[in-house]
Amino acid sequence: MTNDRPSVAQLEALLAEQAALRRVATLVAGDPDAGRLFEGVCEEVGRVLGVDSANITRFEDDGTQTVVGAWAVGGAPWFPAGERVPIDGETVSGKLRRTGRPQRVDEYAGVRGELVRRLQAVGIKSAVGAPVTVAGRVWGGIVASSGRPHAFPEGAEHRLADFAELVTAALANVDAREQLAASRARIVQAGYEERRRLGRDLHDGAQQDLVGAMISLRLAQRRLAQAPDEAGEFVEEALEHMETGIRDLRELASGIHPSVLTDRGLSVALETLAGRSPMPVELGEMPPQRLPAPVETSAYFVVAEALTNAARHARCSHAYVGVRVEDGSATVEVRDDGVGGADASAGSGLRGLADRVSALGGRLEIESPSGKGTTIRARIALGAPETDRGAVRLGRGRQPPTYG
Amino acid sequence: MRVVVGEDSVLVREGLVRLLGEAGFEVVAQAGDAEELVREVSAHRPDVAVVDIRMPPTETDDGLRAAIEIRRRMPQTGVLVLSQYLEEGYALELVADSAEGTGYLLKDRVADVERFADSVRRVGEGGSALDPEVVAHLLGRRRRDDPLARLTKREREVLALMAEGRSNQAIAEQLVVTERAVEKHVTSIFGKLALMPAAADHRRVLAVLTFLRSQ
Repeated sequence: MTNDRPSVAQLEALLAEQAALRRVATLVAGDPDAGRLFEGVCEEVGRVLGVDSANITRFEDDGTQTVVGAWAVGGAPWFPAGERVPIDGETVSGKLRRTGRPQRVDEYAGVRGELVRRLQAVGIKSAVGAPVTVAGRVWGGIVASSGRPHAFPEGAEHRLADFAELVTAALANVDAREQLAASRARIVQAGYEERRRLGRDLHDGAQQDLVGAMISLRLAQRRLAQAPDEAGEFVEEALEHMETGIRDLRELASGIHPSVLTDRGLSVALETLAGRSPMPVELGEMPPQRLPAPVETSAYFVVAEALTNAARHARCSHAYVGVRVEDGSATVEVRDDGVGGADASAGSGLRGLADRVSALGGRLEIESPSGKGTTIRARIALGAPETDRGAVRLGRGRQPPTYG
Repeated sequence: MRVVVGEDSVLVREGLVRLLGEAGFEVVAQAGDAEELVREVSAHRPDVAVVDIRMPPTETDDGLRAAIEIRRRMPQTGVLVLSQYLEEGYALELVADSAEGTGYLLKDRVADVERFADSVRRVGEGGSALDPEVVAHLLGRRRRDDPLARLTKREREVLALMAEGRSNQAIAEQLVVTERAVEKHVTSIFGKLALMPAAADHRRVLAVLTFLRSQ
């Protein structure tokens, strides 16, 4: 018999801890409600460490902390979720915040501070804690407390760190979910705004012209018998209204979705787009074949928005557009030689682009150092290749006619 | 001059047929989709086919593809494509190899009956007719070291009319100058753009379009 062998009790404790960690990991993966998750983690921590209470707190910028999860033996926690408490220098939470490393306080007697007074008031004598770190910064901490001094065996704070890591993962999930929800909301909102704009353009443009044409034709109709010359003038007026209306409709339809993009693909559509830019636009590499429709559409609107931005804000003398296809994705690049300083968070245009690109599993990068031009790069996954484009376009399983 | 009309909207087709009839053309057949159009053209061998760009069966650019097919297989028939799109890409594709007997006009141009009839006639005679707005877009492209900047205002006007497919005589009439004056402008333009002079109008169109596109 050697002293190195762990006792049955130690093994059981280890197993219980592993089981608790597994349960927390399952919670992290499955539960979208952060509050319930924190609650659950506290309970597991409390039980596996055999302590009197466990808390997860978020450190605030004003030097306080907010309890986001709490558990205590026998029910009501001393510091329930939602409560704000101060952070004192020599408490576990104070040390966590300062160092970002697991901490312990074996005896609160003799330590000073407002929080310590409150801990002592509820009978806490010792505690261990581990930091929860998000994006390189101490977000908060997980703290286990006991009514006995020196209650925690050596290394207890490090065991707590395993739970803290799971909380970190959970927070990353929550963050990703929140960002996704926000991005979705922005896409939906942008869709509504687009509809509103289209409605307004139709009312103010083509509809007005049609009404004008109708009035002119009515006036002409009344004069047909008595004053044919005047009638002719009104017909002429009606034709002018119609011409303006048709031009408006053409431009509107082309802005919604250029037909050439569907019919001829990205490179032809980009050539037109480049040709209509107010500055010279050099076209670089273009995809050698058609890409899936959502990719072509997104790529087109990335270029359209980027060129519009360049023309409006960049004060550039020329721009470059290229689309490279490799490794199952298309990279769209738009560069200008303007003033730089473009910021995706500032304008809704660039953020809208980022949202749409990410909805396709892509990424939008903006490099825009002040005075050194702007480069916008969108990487869009090609996804499942469209092997039979003709059939997809026809929709009824017909092949394109060959007239042979 | 004998014409086949390809247009899927019955309303527009009947209007077109009436317009063409009143302008002195003989409409020998009508078609409601691209396949029927090619059949009718090959049965009647008209001087010109007037074709809507968007037609069944796929409702995309069947009209344009049918037009290109007709040019390839039946060179004695000219094709005038009517389009609701102000899109240089389609027009350039139509005249890619030869501008002879081809035209691309915005659909609403048909309302200007005389000019429309003139375009149909030109295309039927082996010339070309490119929409002025399409040409304006091509000319309006921003270029680095723009060679077009070396042209005078009058030369730009002449260049635009050339690209539309007008003859020197037509350009002279439009600008109210002598044909001799137009010839001098044309020589000057070709010199400034370093283009080879071309005798036939449709070759000239192709040279000009190729230049405008490549820049």
